[in-house]
Amino acid sequence: MNLIESLLTGLDEARRHWGQTLLSLLGLILGTASIVTVLALFGGQTALTEQFLNEVGGRGTIIVSDRERSAHPRARELASKRLTFHDAQFLRDRATALTAVSPGWARQLDYRAGTTSFTGQVIGTVPDYMVINDIKPLVGRYLSDLDVRHQSRVTVLGWKYADSLFGAATAALGKVVSIGAKSYRVVGVLEREEFYFASWEDNALEYRNERAYIPISTAIAQYSATDNLDFLTLKAKPAAGGAAAQAQVRSLLFARHGVEDFDIRASGQGAGQEAGSFLLLFNFIFLVVGVVSLVTGGIVIANILLASVVERVREFGTRMALGATAGGIFAHVLAEVLVVTIIGGLLGLGLGAALTGVVAHFMQMPAVVSPFIATVSIGTAISVGLIAGLFPALRAARLAPVEALRYA
Amino acid sequence: MTLIVAEGLEKTYRLGQVDVQALRGVDAQILAGEYVAITGPSGSGKSTLMHILGCLDSPTSGTYRLDGEDISTLSGKRLAHVRNRKVGFVFQTFNLMPRLTVEENVALPLKYRGGVPRAERRARAHKLLERLGLGPRIGHRPDELSGGERQRVAIARALVGEPAILMADEPTGNLDSTAGNEVLATFAELHAAGHTIVLVTHDPGVAARAERVIQMSDGRVV
Repeated sequence: MNLIESLLTGLDEARRHWGQTLLSLLGLILGTASIVTVLALFGGQTALTEQFLNEVGGRGTIIVSDRERSAHPRARELASKRLTFHDAQFLRDRATALTAVSPGWARQLDYRAGTTSFTGQVIGTVPDYMVINDIKPLVGRYLSDLDVRHQSRVTVLGWKYADSLFGAATAALGKVVSIGAKSYRVVGVLEREEFYFASWEDNALEYRNERAYIPISTAIAQYSATDNLDFLTLKAKPAAGGAAAQAQVRSLLFARHGVEDFDIRASGQGAGQEAGSFLLLFNFIFLVVGVVSLVTGGIVIANILLASVVERVREFGTRMALGATAGGIFAHVLAEVLVVTIIGGLLGLGLGAALTGVVAHFMQMPAVVSPFIATVSIGTAISVGLIAGLFPALRAARLAPVEALRYA
Repeated sequence: MTLIVAEGLEKTYRLGQVDVQALRGVDAQILAGEYVAITGPSGSGKSTLMHILGCLDSPTSGTYRLDGEDISTLSGKRLAHVRNRKVGFVFQTFNLMPRLTVEENVALPLKYRGGVPRAERRARAHKLLERLGLGPRIGHRPDELSGGERQRVAIARALVGEPAILMADEPTGNLDSTAGNEVLATFAELHAAGHTIVLVTHDPGVAARAERVIQMSDGRVV
C-alpha cells in the first residue's frame, strides 16, 4: 500500500467514526478559535495604538528636551541657558532639514470669565504647533506669526474650556477671558478631540480639550523671567529623513550651548506608550487565555488519540496480520490526525472569526482576522495535532503483530 | 511438495521476572494440500507454534522455511510481505474491521498488497463471498451478521490474496455448534478444492475433522 492510499484510508477512517472524531475536534476547535480571537483583538489594539499616535502627532516628530543636570556640573554646563525660545528661533532659521519648529511653554494658571473660574493648563506656543499636532479650529483661527511677533494678548481655547467658560464652545469667540490675571481675547476655539481605545474607556484626548493656547512670546513676557522652554518639538522634512535632521539639530544646538545638555529622540514611543500601557496587561491576559486553551486543546486531542490507539491496537495487529507494514500503519494514523487537525483548525478559524466579530462589535474594538492570523492559528493546530498524534502512531507501528493482537 | 519445514523451534517469553518457555524444540513438516490440526491442552504451545508458522511472531531459535523461503531471518517489512502473500489468517474472534463493510473487509489484504486496482479488488472479494454463500451480505457491516457469517467473512478475507496456506486459530471457539459446523464444512470444501489448511484447536471433535493431527504438550510435539 503506498502513501496516498494510506492517507486515503486514514481519511476514510476519520469519516467513519465521526462521533469520536468530533470529540477530539472540539478541543482543537476551541483552542484554535481562542488563538484567532486573541490575535485578531491584539492586532486590532495595536492598530488602534498606531492610530492614536498619528492622532496626537507622535509619528515622525523629533522631541528635544533638557537633559538632567549632572551632579557636579562643569562651568560650561552651568553657563548654558538650557533650551530657550531663542534656540527654537535659531533652529527655525538655520535647520534646513526641518519643516516645523514648535517651542512650548506650559503652566497651570487661573481662568476666569464672568462668574466661572478654575485652574487649568495654559500652553504658550507658535503656529507650527498646529501643524505638528494636527489641530483644527472649530470657529475663529489659530495663533499666527503676527501674534507671536507682537506678543498679542490673544488665546485659542480648547473645546472643553470654551464650553465651560462661556456656556457653549462657539459662544466664546471674540470674548475676553482672564488667564493668570491677564486679559486675553478669544480668537479661536478648537474642535473637540476624541479618541477611544474601547467603548468603556474615557476619551484619551480629553486633555487636549482642557487647555488654552497663547503666543509663546506673550507667555514669556507676562509670566516668565527667562525664555526657557518646557518642550521643543520638531518635524523633519520627509526628504531629509529623521536621522539626518536629528544630527543637524544636535550640532546646531551644541554650537549654541557649548555642551550637550539636551536629549534628542524620535517620538512615537512617548505619548502613545503611556496611553497604551494598560493595553499591555489586557493583551497579556488575552494571550495567556489563548495559550492555555490551546494547550488544553492539545492535551484533549492527545488523550483521545491515545485512547483510540490503545483501543485499536488489536485492530492494528489484525491489519498487520493481513499484510500491513509498520510504515503503512504509521501513515494511516498520521492521516487521521491530519484530517482531524485540519478540519478542527478550519472550524476553529471560523468560530474564532465569528467570536472576533461579536467581541469587536460589542466592545467597539477594531479587530481583523488577517491571512497571517489564519495561517498561524491553523499552523498551531496542525503542530499540536502532529505532536499529539506522532507518539501514538509510532507506538502503534512499532508493535509486533502478535503483541498487538494480544493487547489488552 | 513440502510447504512448511520447521526445525528445532524454540520460543521463550519474558513475563515480568520469569522466563516462560512456550516451545522447547518443535520439528514440523506440512505438505501442500494437507489439512492439519494442531491440538493440545491450553499452555501446550499450540498457539505460539501457529503464530510462528503464520509469521506473526518469530522464534527465539530454530529455523522455519515457508514455501522454500527462510522466514527466521526476514525483516519486518519482508515479513509483512510474506504475511500478505503466503498466509491467510483466521482468528477466534473474527477480527473484522467494524467500520468497514463485508466487501471492504474482504478486500483489505489486496489493498495492503498494493498494485491491485480497486475494481479487481472488489471483483475478487465478490467472487469469494458468493462462493462462501455470503453474496447477499456484501454491503453489510460485521455487527449486522451472525457469528458463523462473520467467521466465513474472515475466511473469505484470508483467502482473497490466494495464500499458500490458510491458518485458523480456534476458528470455532466463539461459535455455537451449528455455526461451528458451517465453518468446518467450509474448511472441508476448501481442502477438497486443494487448499492447505492448518488450524489450532483444543476441541478433539474439531481436530478429528482434519486429515492429520499434530498433538502438542508442554511445548513439544508428542
